[in-house]
Amino acid sequence: MHEPVTMPQLSDTMQTGRLHHWVKQPGDAVKKGDVLAEMESDKAVMDVEAFHDGYLAGPLAQTDTDISVGAVIGYIVDTPEQATQAAPAPEPPRVAPTPSPVGAETVHRPAPPPTSPATTMSAVPRAASETPPSSATQAAASVEGFKATPYARGLARELRIDLRYTSPAPDGVIHASQVIAVALRGPQPDLEAGPPYEIKPLSTMARAVADNMIAALRTPTFRISARLPLTALRTLANAEAQSLTLLLARACAKTVRAHPRFNAVYTAQGLAQRERVDVGIAVDIPDGLVTPVITDAADRPLRELAEDWRILRDRVKRRRMSPEHYQGATFYLSNLGDFEQVTHFDAIVPQGAAAILALGAEHGGNAEFTLSCDHRVVFGAEAARFLETLSSFLADPKPLIGD
Amino acid sequence: MSDPIYYWQALNRALDTELAADDAVFVLGEDVGLYGGSYRVTEGLYAKYGEWRLRDTPISEGGFTGLAVGAAMVGMRPIAEIMTINFALLAMDAIINMAAKIPFMSGGQFPMPLVVRMPGGVAKQLAAQHSQSLEQTLMNVPGLRIAVPATPQDAWWQLRQAIRSDEPIILLEHELLYFSKGPVDTVAEAPPMHRARIHREGSDLSIVTYSRMLDLSLQAARQLSEKGIEAEVVDLRSLRPIDWDTCRSSLEKTHRLLVVEEDSHFAGAGAAVVAGLTERAFYALDAAPARVAGLDMPIPYNGVLEAAGIPRPSDIVRAAEELCAN
Amino acid sequence: MESEKMVALLRDMLLARAFEERAAEEYTKGNIGGFLHLYPGEEAVAVGVLHAAEPSDYIVSTYREHVHAMVRGIPPKKVMAELFGKKDGCSHGMGGSMHLFDRERRFMGGYAIVGETYPVAAGIAYAIAMRELPEAAICFFGDGAVNQGTFHEILNMVVLWRLPVLFVCENNHYQIGTEIHRHSAVVEVYKRAAGYRIPARRVDGMDVLQVRHATLEALEQIREGNGPQFLEFETYRFRGHSMADPSTYRPKVEVQAFENQDPIRVALSETLPRYPSAEEIAAAGPNSIERLAEHLDQAGHLRAEQLQVLREDVARIVDDAVQFAKASPDPTLEEAQACLDCNRGTEVLI
Repeated sequence: MHEPVTMPQLSDTMQTGRLHHWVKQPGDAVKKGDVLAEMESDKAVMDVEAFHDGYLAGPLAQTDTDISVGAVIGYIVDTPEQATQAAPAPEPPRVAPTPSPVGAETVHRPAPPPTSPATTMSAVPRAASETPPSSATQAAASVEGFKATPYARGLARELRIDLRYTSPAPDGVIHASQVIAVALRGPQPDLEAGPPYEIKPLSTMARAVADNMIAALRTPTFRISARLPLTALRTLANAEAQSLTLLLARACAKTVRAHPRFNAVYTAQGLAQRERVDVGIAVDIPDGLVTPVITDAADRPLRELAEDWRILRDRVKRRRMSPEHYQGATFYLSNLGDFEQVTHFDAIVPQGAAAILALGAEHGGNAEFTLSCDHRVVFGAEAARFLETLSSFLADPKPLIGD
Repeated sequence: MSDPIYYWQALNRALDTELAADDAVFVLGEDVGLYGGSYRVTEGLYAKYGEWRLRDTPISEGGFTGLAVGAAMVGMRPIAEIMTINFALLAMDAIINMAAKIPFMSGGQFPMPLVVRMPGGVAKQLAAQHSQSLEQTLMNVPGLRIAVPATPQDAWWQLRQAIRSDEPIILLEHELLYFSKGPVDTVAEAPPMHRARIHREGSDLSIVTYSRMLDLSLQAARQLSEKGIEAEVVDLRSLRPIDWDTCRSSLEKTHRLLVVEEDSHFAGAGAAVVAGLTERAFYALDAAPARVAGLDMPIPYNGVLEAAGIPRPSDIVRAAEELCAN
Repeated sequence: MESEKMVALLRDMLLARAFEERAAEEYTKGNIGGFLHLYPGEEAVAVGVLHAAEPSDYIVSTYREHVHAMVRGIPPKKVMAELFGKKDGCSHGMGGSMHLFDRERRFMGGYAIVGETYPVAAGIAYAIAMRELPEAAICFFGDGAVNQGTFHEILNMVVLWRLPVLFVCENNHYQIGTEIHRHSAVVEVYKRAAGYRIPARRVDGMDVLQVRHATLEALEQIREGNGPQFLEFETYRFRGHSMADPSTYRPKVEVQAFENQDPIRVALSETLPRYPSAEEIAAAGPNSIERLAEHLDQAGHLRAEQLQVLREDVARIVDDAVQFAKASPDPTLEEAQACLDCNRGTEVLI
């Protein structure tokens, strides 16, 4: 059954009416006599009632527009599946983003003509946050403010991607690959439900990190923690006037050198084994995180590493990093020890490495170290041995100074 | 036969086979008899079958094509050879007003087992009046069928099918295809005359083409493959009717359509193909359909300009790259 | 010639005249649409030629073909139904006045394009020659059609290959509204044919007996394998005053054109049937029906009462034809599609 619900004639003079709001939503069960919506006739506010049992289905007519008596405003169907399958709502009027005073980085998606506030309570079914455009509106690209190819629209509908949040290709049109990219990134939040917002595009670096993190989701990770002594290392750092972090990196590198599996990375063709140990050190920056890389951290003289580290830190400060400075590490170190409340944390293994070492604040001479590992490359016992070796370097750090 | 043979030889053997099989079959046209055909298609047949079955006509395209119509009405199976499609303009009354319409106008009383064979397209500096592709002139004539063999195998199959059919069929050849070589299996069962054929599978775009442009499209497809773009190449084999199903299936896989034709861009066969496929496969398209066609200009005599006037593999490659850019 | 045969000639001519007259009337009533080319005055040609033809000969005619069709044997009711565009017409409503076809009776059309009858006839003749049969293809055309390219192409081929075609030129001196002196450099059509080395002669087309006789002779030649023959029959299509004085007469069309009348309307008035009145017919001069009737009367083949019976018979046939046509249903679109696909057989195209 696919019974149309029509705008009722509620007085003899009524020719059009306006829906105030939908009391029931698509997918809701309705019984004969239930109130589906409230509407306003030429004389009064009245109820639109259901004359059939079933489930309400779209497309639902918009509120706050004049609708002729007898026009179809919705449907009642037999099953909830039919209700969600039924052509979803016609293009809901968009809330124009609050004009943002911030200049260049605000996205300028072509805004539709601003609609009156009352229409925001539109008949958008709340079921999915990704509201696919209805087939009926596939033709009207300009009305929606974006251009998408027919195939892309079909995919978007199938994958439940909202084309409003899909960046187009360089030609300004949303093609299938853009839709698929969004699908692979996962669901987007429905911003329309919340307060006004402003979109800031990610910088290249931040985009790289985001993509890396998304890719990293597929890595099967285990974490192993140990409380290790830092006192000896700290003493040595002060004595040599070296950064603690650098020495930690050096310790990690030497440990990796002793446990070569930690310098491999998983590829579909097999484990890619690297000789040289490049340690990426996570650094906090105003708009996120960057991982400058100390190359050949296990074998070069420490003073060379120190010099590199100095240059890299300077680059970070001056925002002069290019991909070669922050990509390609074979092992990562992330230190939040400066924050004394932080006892420990798990870091995410970035793409390109088999493990990352995270440490919390020092208490009583020890800090809690958490090693996150790619289980396709290294296993538990080996990780434990890694930590043992690291522990011995921390307890007796003099070998770190040498070459 | 397993060794590759020339396209003209495939036609020749097809004619020989059909002339031998049925006395009602006869060929007429200019220089088809004694001379053996301008493109050797009827070579040796005059000696074998005689002047009534290999009839040398005067230069009277309208007259002899109409004569073929009359003969077809009384049960003969004539094959009119028009030397090039450019001369067919003189026979349009016979083809369009007579052959295509007599069975219908008579209320379905008369057979029309007529075949009109002719080559079209650009050859080598034959200039504007000898270089046209006029297939679209015939495409919109209800009552006609048009087969476009691009390979010797198809020439063998489609000419024989056309001769055996009781409907009027145009066989569109190409001057530069007569000396192309390809394998011909004379035993294998022929596919339906108008069924399109996928010569190369691919997943990035569908190149839909016919006649000589098939070869150029395959060349382009090889070049595209080196650039990481895999093109599916569909040979229509027929311009009326058009095998929409095969094309649509291809588009549902690749989502991008590139039509390649030699005729001028404006309203050639490609325009009909794009319109028809857009109607049928709109929701599968991930980009606007594209056409690579000849220039909207008569073909110049100058060799360099002539080559630039019709599609080259590089044009097809470029168009495919643009189509796949996003 | 026997009485019976002669009376048959007269009967067919009477039928022809009555049918055409009635067709004109039905046209004005809106039962017949499109172009309607009528034959009043030329009856002797079609009747004479077709009475000389054998059933095994093939007839190829122009758009002015109703009489040819009927004398050939297509029942008048099927011709009238075709004019009405109905399913029971001889072309099942698909052709109309200009496209009458009957395969069984070897009536091969009905063509609207001037000059198409030559190649069709030649093709048929080619088949006859290949089959080595003593049949002929009889090709009708008007004086205007002699200027079409196909005339020359086909005459050349037909002579070259000795094809059994009888060319019958119905010279009514007009090509729509243009008189022969204004459309042909050589007004003796048979002379133009003779240039292709076809035996060709001119005969009085208003005398059905002469027409028949000339046709029989020509067909005999053809059947003996002596190649094609050409007959030019001079005849008149009634057009008001036009027959009276060809050399001094300025066609109505010209006069009107000079008087700044709408040339389209003038052209149309030449093509739409304007059936001549009895006075116009009388004023036109020698009338083949009158001549034959008189001849038959004088030769004792036919008495006045018999003539009257003939007229009544013919009137009834025409009446029945119209009733039949009116009662016949319209063809459907499916039937039209079936006509288009009539030669498909069991073949599945794709």
